Amino acid sequence: MPNTQTPVTQRTLSPDIFAVALALLAALLVRLNLIPPIKW
Amino acid sequence: MATAAIATPKAESLGQRAIALIPGMLLLVAVGYAGKIIEQSTAAYTKSHHITFPNIEYVLWAIVIGLVISNTLGIPRIFAPGVATYEFWLKAGIVLLGSRFLLGDVLHLGGISLLLVAFALTLSLTFMHLLGRAFKLKPKLTSLLAVGSSICGVSAIIAAKPSIDADDEDASYAIAAILALGAISLFTFPLIGHALHLSDKAYGLWTGLAVDNTAEATAAGALYSDAAGKVAVLAKTTRNALIGFIVLGYAIYWSGRGQAGKVGNKAAFLWNKFPKFVLGFLLISLLATVGFFAKPQLSSLANLSRWAFLLTFAGVGLRTNLRELALQGWKPFAVGAIGEVFIALLTLGLVYGADHYLTL
Repeated sequence: MPNTQTPVTQRTLSPDIFAVALALLAALLVRLNLIPPIKW
Repeated sequence: MATAAIATPKAESLGQRAIALIPGMLLLVAVGYAGKIIEQSTAAYTKSHHITFPNIEYVLWAIVIGLVISNTLGIPRIFAPGVATYEFWLKAGIVLLGSRFLLGDVLHLGGISLLLVAFALTLSLTFMHLLGRAFKLKPKLTSLLAVGSSICGVSAIIAAKPSIDADDEDASYAIAAILALGAISLFTFPLIGHALHLSDKAYGLWTGLAVDNTAEATAAGALYSDAAGKVAVLAKTTRNALIGFIVLGYAIYWSGRGQAGKVGNKAAFLWNKFPKFVLGFLLISLLATVGFFAKPQLSSLANLSRWAFLLTFAGVGLRTNLRELALQGWKPFAVGAIGEVFIALLTLGLVYGADHYLTL
């Protein structure tokens, strides 16, 4: 059976981190009124 | 398609990879926005002409348009990387949705969800293994199906596959079965919820506990109502938070049988598998609770979350190719389907109980 195990110590950043970072950045920009109010 | 979500990029520069995302992301925007425009135009037309017509949410339009494109024209290769970003937008949307929850509500509903998830998980994992044995599925395929249907769909299968050293073929079968069942859930859950006259909270909780993929759970919740969608995301996020523990349990089990590598540092393993967007969601909810954002700013964050989900719903339709799903064989699908019905009934019973004996 092929061993496809990913080492736990893998250093690549997961896309989760980027999604969280983008959302937090957007929240900060909204908080500082650096972007106009977002309409739906 | 599922393969797009797990495809590993070739050795390309960051700039080239970013450029490759543009066509697919534009397609997500076009499909999602078309859904929104159709909802608004239909509502305006039927209102101005005094026609009684049920309001069909943009969620359904976006998914259906995506499904039609994917299953008639197909998705050209150039769009695949960008379409696969729908999960990225889902996670960013969940973090921003934290602004619509006070931390106390998160702890209250999250606590109830956790209790129900723990109960449902134990029973559903046991049931899936008995079912896999009855259908003579390969044990690791059964493990992947059990993880996928009990925790969080495709993400859980992808997280578990290397940890239990499962075959690519088994993972593809399990992913296809979970995706097909997710597509069915999207259309059946709102119908059942309306037939049973479930409250927004009860329906949202049920969807979050029973629908496998986070994207489908979010869409199935939003199809019912905005409030139900909110609760569905919270319940699903609670379920997702347990992914590391379940995958760790399976890794230790298969390692003990000599059929997977040893698990080294368990804390590092748990952190590695933990969905980080849960922490982002809690942080934004905490900031909203302590008054960090003014009211109009909270409204902007909620709308940003809706835009992110709009791209997600477009992606759900675009990545579902019914012909490819049908090619994967009936046995994993049958085991998954029977398991899903069991989990849906079990969680519905739990939600009914919680609605009566706990304050939702």
